[in-house]
Formats: sequence, C-alpha cells, structure tokens
Amino acid sequence: MLTTPKKTTFASAALCILVMVTTMGLMAAGCGAGDAAGTRVIVLGFDGMDYEFTRQMIERGRMPAFARLAASGGFDLLETTVPPQSPVAWSTFMTGLDPGGHGIFDFIHRDPETMLPYLSTTETAEGGTSLTVGNYQFPLLGGSVELLRGGEPFWNVLADRGIESTIIRMPANYPPSGSATRELSGMGTPDLIGTYGTFSFYTSDVLIASRDIPSAEVHFVEPEDGVVQTTILGPDNPFLVETEKVTSQFTLYLDPERDVAKLVAGDEERVLEVGEWTDWVPVDFELLPLQSLRGMVRLYLRQIEPNLQLYVTPTNIDPIAPALPISTPDSYAADLAEATGRFYTQGMPEETRGLQEAIFSRAEFMEQSRLAGGDVRAQYQLVLDQFDDGLLFYYFGNLDQTSHMLFRTTDPGHPEYDAETDPEYLEAVEGLYLTMDEIVAETLDAIDASGQETTLIVMSDHGFTSWRRAFHLNGWLRDNGYLRPHNARMENDPGFLTNIDWAQTRAYGLGLNGLYVNLRGRERQGIVAPEARDALMTEIADKLLAVVDPATGQLAITKVYRREEVYASGGYDHLAPDLVVGYAKGTRCSSESSTGAVPRGEVIIDNLDPWSGDHCMDHEAVPGILLTNKPLQRAAASLEDLAGAILAEFGVDEFPRPSEED
Amino acid sequence: MTLVNAVLGGLVTGLLYPFRTLPPIVGLLVVSFLTAIAMLVVFRATSNQDRIAAVKRSIHAGLFEIRLFNDDLRQILRSQIDILRHNLTYLRLSLVPMVWMIVPLLLVIAQLQFHYGYRGLEPEHAVLVKVQFDADVPAPRNISLEAPEGMRVETQVAWIPTLREAAWRVVAEAPGDYELSVHVDGRTFTKAVRTSDAVIPRSPVKLAPGFVNQLLYPAEAPLPADSGLASIELTYPEREISLLGWETHWLVAFFILSIVIAFALRNRFGVVL
Repeated sequence: MLTTPKKTTFASAALCILVMVTTMGLMAAGCGAGDAAGTRVIVLGFDGMDYEFTRQMIERGRMPAFARLAASGGFDLLETTVPPQSPVAWSTFMTGLDPGGHGIFDFIHRDPETMLPYLSTTETAEGGTSLTVGNYQFPLLGGSVELLRGGEPFWNVLADRGIESTIIRMPANYPPSGSATRELSGMGTPDLIGTYGTFSFYTSDVLIASRDIPSAEVHFVEPEDGVVQTTILGPDNPFLVETEKVTSQFTLYLDPERDVAKLVAGDEERVLEVGEWTDWVPVDFELLPLQSLRGMVRLYLRQIEPNLQLYVTPTNIDPIAPALPISTPDSYAADLAEATGRFYTQGMPEETRGLQEAIFSRAEFMEQSRLAGGDVRAQYQLVLDQFDDGLLFYYFGNLDQTSHMLFRTTDPGHPEYDAETDPEYLEAVEGLYLTMDEIVAETLDAIDASGQETTLIVMSDHGFTSWRRAFHLNGWLRDNGYLRPHNARMENDPGFLTNIDWAQTRAYGLGLNGLYVNLRGRERQGIVAPEARDALMTEIADKLLAVVDPATGQLAITKVYRREEVYASGGYDHLAPDLVVGYAKGTRCSSESSTGAVPRGEVIIDNLDPWSGDHCMDHEAVPGILLTNKPLQRAAASLEDLAGAILAEFGVDEFPRPSEED
Repeated sequence: MTLVNAVLGGLVTGLLYPFRTLPPIVGLLVVSFLTAIAMLVVFRATSNQDRIAAVKRSIHAGLFEIRLFNDDLRQILRSQIDILRHNLTYLRLSLVPMVWMIVPLLLVIAQLQFHYGYRGLEPEHAVLVKVQFDADVPAPRNISLEAPEGMRVETQVAWIPTLREAAWRVVAEAPGDYELSVHVDGRTFTKAVRTSDAVIPRSPVKLAPGFVNQLLYPAEAPLPADSGLASIELTYPEREISLLGWETHWLVAFFILSIVIAFALRNRFGVVL
C-alpha cells in the first residue's frame, strides 16, 4: 500500500517532465514560424504582361484594380533576365539565382558531346533492364522524369519553417518540387506522348493531309457511309520489344445534312455541331490486355462538308488519374478536377501552332485560348477560396501565349498589320488585360472579405512587343565566315544542327538568344582552341553590334553579353551559350535559326508569321511589371530579387541560402 | 411483369421515401438490414440446418488436425483434402436457400439499381439523348426532340443511318423532374428526366415492351408496342456510395452491409450460416 502512492508520484512527475520537454520542443520547432504565423502572401504571376502596355491601360482608366494597387503599394517595372525567356525568367524568380545558378539558359539546350538539342527543363529516362518474353518486355525498374532546373525554390524555406505554400502552375517546375504543401505543375508539363503539345487533325482533304505540320499528327480519313473509324496516337508501348505506338480508337458518325456528328470513344459519347468543342473526353491506350494508359482530349469539329476537318487537342494527362506526376500531393490534381472539372494539364495549352499552320482561324484560336484560360481562372476561384494562410502563388499563362499571336494588332508598323481586321483583335488583347484586372479585383475583394492582413504581389516575368523583323543568326554567321553548312543550297534545312559542317564551323546559334563557340575539348568536333575563344567572341560581338537592318536603318542588335559577364558560375558552364544576343526591340532570332537551321537568303527579313509578338530581345526593352498592395518590407527591382522580397514578408532574411559548398 | 414491377416499385419507392433527401447510405443501410433479415428467415426455412452445422464442425475438425499435427505432412494434406470436401458439401447445402432467394433478390436489386445506380443530371451538364429505331421500320421522315421549360436541346438531331439512331445533346438548366418529348413522323413519345440528386427512381432507358426488358429496366413504363422504336436512352451519370469514406458501387456496399448484418444477427435468429 505504501509503494503505490510513491509510484503514482513518480509517474506524475515523469509525465510532467515529459509534457514540459515536449512543449519546449514544440516551441523550439515552431519558433521559426513564430514571427510568420498567420502571414498571408498572394503572388499572381501574369506571364508576358508588359509594363508599357499596362501603364497605358491604367492611365486610360481601363484597369481600375491595377490602378488601386498602383496607388496603394506602387507600380514599377521589374527587370527581367538575360535572356528574357519564360523558363529562364521563372527559374530565376523561384530560385533567386541568375541562369548560371539554375542552369536554364533557353527553351532548348544542346548536349556538347552529341550536338543534339533537347528541351532544357526536363528529361525523361526510360526504365533500365527489362525481362523479355517473346515480343514483350517487362521493365524491372520504372522510368523517371527529372527536373533539370538547379537551385532551390524559395518555398523550400517556408516548408522548413512549417509555413504552408500553394504553388499553382509555376513554370519550369515539372515534375513538381514536392516541397510545397500543394503544387500543380505548369509550363514544361508535357502531353501524354512527352512533347510540349502535339495535336491531331483528321481530314478528308488530300491537300491538307499531305502537309507536313510540325507538332501535329495529320491523318487522312475517308468517311464510309458517313462513318469515320480512326485512332489517336499515343506514346511508344514500353512493353513491346519492337517500338510501336499505342493507339486509342474512336468513331465519328457524320450527319452532313445537318452539320452535326456523334463521337464514340470507348464508353464515352458526344454529339457536336460544326464549330463546337467537346468537353474533355477520357481516352485509354491499351498497353497490355489488363494495363492501359489514361489520357484525355477535346475535339473541335471544324467542318463536315465539303470535306471533314476535325481537330483533336494534344492528349493531356488526365488529372483524375494522372499517368505522370503533376501535383503535390499526388491526389491534389484530382481534387481540383473533381471540384472544377477536368482541365488542360499540358504546360502551354494555347494552340498557337494551329493558328500558325492555318488549321485555326484567328477567331477559332481565340475560342480555344478562351477555353484554356477559362480552366485556369475557374480553378483560381477555388484555390483562392481555400487559401487560409502562408503563401499562394498562382500563374496565368494565357496572356503571354495569346499575345504572341495577336500583338501585331497593337502595331500598325508590323509588316502583316491588317487595317481592316486587326483593330477588332486589338480589343481582344486589351480584353486579356481587362481579364487580369478582374482577377486582381476578385483577389482584392477576397482579401477585404477575409479581414486578414495580406500582402498581394502582382508580377510578370517579362514584357511584350511587336515582332517585326526576323534575324537569321546562323545565316549571318555563315555570311561572315563563322559557320559552314554541309549543303548551302538546301531549301528546307531540317534544323537541329544537322546541316552544319563542324570541321569548318567556329560558331553557331541555337535557341532564341544563344550563340555558341565550337570549342575544342567541349564540343564533340570543336575546332576553336580555348585560348582563341575570347578573341573570337569579341570579334563576333563587335560585328553583331554593328549590324544595321537595311529596311529600318536601325541597329538590329543592341546588346551582346558574354556569359562570364552576366552569369555566376553554378556548375552549368558547359550548357551556357558563350554569347547571349540581345536583339533590338522589334527584332528577334528567326524561328529557323533558333532550332539550329541555316536559312538561305537575306539575313534580316520581315516576320510574316502569325506569331507576331515576342519578348526574346534585349532584356532592357521588355521589362516585366511589379505591383503590390502595400510597400514590401524589402524592395525588389528585378526578378532575381523577388523571391527574397517575398520571403522577407515571412521574416526570412537570407535567400538564396548559402549552399553546403559555400 | 409490368404489374409485378408496379407493385414492387411502389413498395421500394415507398420504403425509401422517408430517406430520399438523406445521404444515400442511410436508405441503403435500412434496405440492407431488411434484406439481411429476409435472407436469414429464408435460409433457416429452406436449408438443412443440422447438416450445415455438422459440416461446419467437420471443417473445424480439419483445421484443428492441421494445427495439432503440424509436423506430419501427410496428415496435413489429408486434412486439407477433407476440408475441401466438406467445403464443397457446405456450398451444396447452401445452394437450396440460394435458389429460393435469387429471384426475389434479383427483382429487388433491379429496383434498387434505379434508386442508387444513377445520380440526377447536374444543371448545365450536357448529356446525350438517343432514340434507337427498330431494324424493320423505315427511316423517319421527320424527327425532333422537344424539351420542357428548365431544359434545352443544344444540337440539331444527328441521324445515323448505320446505327438507325437519332441523337441530341441536352442540358438541364435547373433541378427538377421533366419529360422530354420525341416527335417521330407525327407521333410523340416521352422520356422522364430527373435532375434532383434525391434517392428516387430514375431510368436511363425506356424500352420496347418485353419480359426481359421489364425485368431489367422496371423503373419506367415501356414504349407502345407499335412505336417502331427500340429504346429512348438518356445517359445519367453513375452514382458511387460512400461507405466509411470508401467510394464504391452501391451493389458492393449493399452486399457488404447485408452480409455483415446477417452474420451479426444469425444467433438471434437461430440460424447456422
């Protein structure tokens, strides 16, 4: 009897100590978040929102929510990156590092050992060893998708402090980092076949079907008794020894008398009239008898008579059953889809290629762009409603992609400006800015309704301008004796650096702003000695800066940067261009040259492509925007500063954090 | 069959009426409870309870032998064969009550499918209406679909000669119970549409008369025999039932609940299962 109270006392004392230690531990663990507890920061990223255009719209009183922000927290231009390209700029924004630190220098890089170009942000690796049984193989290890961007995203710091972060559609963040509380990947997310977007087009028009359209699968189909049975091409079947693409069958029943059709794809059925889009239709690609891959498409019935024209979107990853990792946690994409419906998961959903290749008219492109933008906006409402505290970053890419196709409407001096039809579409461009203003207004209303102190930051990665003149950089290098093609008379150079005689080439262009020295010891067939590199770069830069556009009498290039001048060394020197070309405002590298072709003829030509607006020029000519609803605790003048400024709102002093090597 | 469906349908709808606006699992729990009791009563009345008890004892004995002689491989094999033989006997003995139960259970399941198998149409969510024509009637000269107020027909008719089918896309604008009218060469046929999410009978298809059609699709009266139509179909979205947070088909939930309840009550009803 005497021992029991002693035991109880001892147990009570032990329990008290345990509670005290646990409480102290919890307090210690939480002290990092202590200052930031309840802090709310919303960052809206409007890709391609131009400072000058925005300023004019505000001054004309057309963007009242932006005007309200400008009055309360300020409206400044935000210095963009060198070069001012979206994957580069957003990587800098999220890591606080220049491209030398995160390793993204352009949309495409080249492997100096193979001289093959590749997409800069992600790499898909196939599974390793396989077990082979007859015509089938069974990978013993799964493949993987690797994000090639280096550096640390700023929300890692928040995660370490126990602060929630929601990061929606951040470019160059596929696959998602995994460190945010909730993430959905954005620009850089591929379609199901692993490209940035390959659409399908089905037609009974022989002339269209015989065209070779990049980023498209064009199918010739002949209706029999008003029925078309055809397939959507999927990725290679990883279970077959011989490479073979998987397919998903669908049937279209046509009623030409009434311009209407019925679609049957698996268990899914839709009726649509000419000029209509379907909603998302799930499609399955059978890999093995009990194993299939789920994707989804939307279809647009362009016409039935006199010949069939049916557009099918790239096969998107279905957010309800994602075949590839697109969110954190894995179920988050499905949660969003169940709340607001299926949505475009491919990183850049606007079908710019469709307009470029005359598969779409401008009105049809605008409708498709509206659908893509509508998905993003509907989800923003949901995410904003669910936002409690911590950080919310939400990206809107619709403005950028649509501006690429319509920006000539702002510029009567553009070679393709059409005084009859373009003013109508100028209103469409302005309409996009008004939509962004509505989004800001909704956000301000939500902040007011929450009654909680919230910092709102509205920013863009770069500005925009009309693209009037195209510069064949590889043509200029050829004309000036730095590059020699294998076949100088080739009419349609396929690009990808395949028509370059490396043994007689000292420099070559690839990407929208990159110029590389064919350096011995780095490039596979390099011929320029390392000690001659510096002089060669000086010589080329001096000549480029002296190029005058004969049509305008103006300099074609206003800046040429050496990588050593603008990039810190972060271990990516072998990938960085030796020179970064800053084209004058209104001039851009030609599409042919940017993909490694050596075009014939004049070096600077009119840009007659429907892709009439751009920003891959001298970075000083296309600054982004920065607006806040109150002065930031730490000012940000450039994209590189912004992550640190956001973290300063949470009481974080130092970002980027020093690496272990530092 | 139409009379049986009318009576049974009235009973099931009446039974579920108090639960129509509650979460579907509530009514399904009640139905499962009643089904379990009915199964126990039928099982007790139609099975050889003594034989079943004896066979179960033999199975237990076999299991006990395996445990007892776990170092004797031959004995273990012999016991396993015995257990298998007794299991087959148990299945044979269970077959008789199963035969008694299967027809009424099938009729009840057919009724429940139309209460629990489909969700109501969501407002502004497009669905297809399809009219299938008999193979031996000529193609219609005039066909149209008329929607009542609260619904709209979004497309022209798609006439598909190879399928002998007419199809439209329709949308419900607001919750409610509606009746679509299909006009074919001067005659009018109707199809019920339900958009509320309550637990009420909704049928995805209205069929031509016939025993099997009425057995499997009892929730809506058949088309007139001389209509020349095989069916009028409307694609309701399928419903899933939440069973302790697990989203599953209602039939799975129904069987799990019925079996669990039956096992829980077997001693109270003096039934050896």
